[in-house]
Amino acid sequence: MIELHHIWKQYQKPYWALSDVTLQIGDGDFYFITGPSGSGKTTLLKTIFREIVPSEGQILINGVNILKIRDSRIYTLRRTMGIVFQDFRLMFHKTVFDNVAVPLQVIGVGRKEIRRRVFNTLQKVNLHQKIWEMPGRLSYGEQQRVAIARAVVNNPEFILADEPTGNLDPELAFEIITLFKEINKQGATVIIGSHDRELIRHFGDNILFLQKGKIVGKEAH
Amino acid sequence: MFEKLKFFLNVTGNNLWQFRTRNIFSVTIICLSFLTVGIFVSLANNLRATARELSSNMTIAFYLDKGLTPTAVDAVRREIGQPAFIESVRTVTPDEARERFRASFPELADIVAGLEANPFPPSIEMRVNAKAWAARDIAAFVAAAKTRPGVTDVQFNQDWVEKMQGFSRLAGAIGAFLGGILILTSFFIISNVVKLNVFARKNEIEILRFVGGTNLFIRIPFWLEGITLGLLGSLLSLGLLFIVINLFPVYLGSSLGALQQILRFRYPDLNQAIALLGGGAATGFIGSATSVSKFLKV
Repeated sequence: MIELHHIWKQYQKPYWALSDVTLQIGDGDFYFITGPSGSGKTTLLKTIFREIVPSEGQILINGVNILKIRDSRIYTLRRTMGIVFQDFRLMFHKTVFDNVAVPLQVIGVGRKEIRRRVFNTLQKVNLHQKIWEMPGRLSYGEQQRVAIARAVVNNPEFILADEPTGNLDPELAFEIITLFKEINKQGATVIIGSHDRELIRHFGDNILFLQKGKIVGKEAH
Repeated sequence: MFEKLKFFLNVTGNNLWQFRTRNIFSVTIICLSFLTVGIFVSLANNLRATARELSSNMTIAFYLDKGLTPTAVDAVRREIGQPAFIESVRTVTPDEARERFRASFPELADIVAGLEANPFPPSIEMRVNAKAWAARDIAAFVAAAKTRPGVTDVQFNQDWVEKMQGFSRLAGAIGAFLGGILILTSFFIISNVVKLNVFARKNEIEILRFVGGTNLFIRIPFWLEGITLGLLGSLLSLGLLFIVINLFPVYLGSSLGALQQILRFRYPDLNQAIALLGGGAATGFIGSATSVSKFLKV
C-alpha cells in the first residue's frame, strides 16, 4: 500500500508543485493521475519512487516511511517498483534482451534464469521475436513495450508510468494501457500519470485529478 | 558472485569498445608516460650496474711505515680489520712491491737495482666486495684507517665509482620527476576520459538507478575501465621499452665509443616491471574513482 500524507513540494517560491496531497493507493489498484501540464503529475510520481524529496509530508510504502531511507539504500525501494517513462529511456546501443535484462542483472540473477525470464516477459508484450534487435530499429510502440517489459521483468509490486502513451498514436496508446491492465490483473499496483482523457475514460478504475499541485477530484469506479 | 564479475567484465569490455577512440588516446598517453619512466629506470639500472662492475675491481691500498716488522704489519692489519664490504685482504711485503714495480716498469728496473735500500714500504691491499659496496661506508673506513699508527697513506680511487653512482641517482631522479609529471598527466587524462564516459552514459546510469542498482554496482564498471586503461597503457609501455632496449644499441652503432657503456639500457627487473604495471593500474583506478565520485551522483 502507498500512503501519501500532506505532501508539499516547492521548486521555487511562491509556486507549489504539490500542495497538501494526501492519498492512499491500495494493493492491486489501477490508478490514473491526471491533470493539465504542470499540474504536478510527474512530481507526484517522482516523490513515490523518491527521485524527488518533498518539502513536507510523509510517504509510507507498505508501512515504511521512504523519506527516512538513506540515499545509499534507495535501491531497496526501487527494486519493488517498475518505472516507465514517456521517452522510454532505453539503452540504444544494447539489444532488446540486454535492456530488459538490466533489473535482473542488478539483483544478481543467474544467466540462464535471466534468459528464461526475459524471454517470457517479452512474450507477454509480444516482442519475443525481436529479442536480439536494437531498440533503434523498433517502432515507438515497440520501444515502449520494451520499456514496459523492463519494468515488469522482476515482478515488482508497483508499476509507475509517467505519460507512457505520450509519444504514441491513439491505437498504440490503447494497446499499451491494455498491457498495463493485464499486468495489474496479475497483482501489481499500477499508477499511470496521463492527460489522455479518452484513455482515462476507457480504462480508469481510480482517477485522481490534479490542478496546480492540488487534488481537485477523485473518482473510483 | 562469478555471474556478477562476468557481468561487470562484459559491461567494461563493451564500454571500452564503445568509446574506443578516446580510450586508445588515453592508453597512448599512459603508455608514453610509463615508457619515459621505464627508460629512466633502465638507464639508472645500467649506471648502477656499471658502478658495481667498476667497484668489483676496486682495491684499497694501505701504505705502512717502512720500518715496521712483519709482526707489526700483521698487528696493523688486525687493527684495521675486515668489514663486510672487503672481500679479501693481502699483505704486500717491500720485496714483493719491488718485484711488482720491476714487472710493471721494466725500463726503470735498473734504477731500482741501483738503490742500496728497498724504497718500497710494506702495504696491505684490500679488495672491495662488489655486492656489499657502499661509498659512505668505505669513505668512513678509509678515513678511520688513515689515523691508525703505522699507516702513512691510503690509496683508493673511488671517484669514478662515485660519479657512476651519482649519474645513476640523477637518472633515477630525472625519471621520477618526468615520470611523476607524466603520470600526473595520465591521471588527469584518465579522469577526464572516465568523466566523458560518465556523461555519455548518463542515460544508462539513470536507468540503472531506477531499476535498483546500488552505488557500487554502477561504479564498478567505471573503476574497472580505469584499471584496464592504466594496465593496458603500462603493459604496452613495457613492451615498447623492450623494443627500445633492443633497438637502441643497433641505432647507436659504435659511434659513441666508451659512452656506449654508460648509455646502454638494461631490462627492468621483475619487481620494477610489476611496479610499472601496478603503477598503471593504480593511476587508472585513482583517475576513474576520482571522476566517478565527483561526477556520478548516485
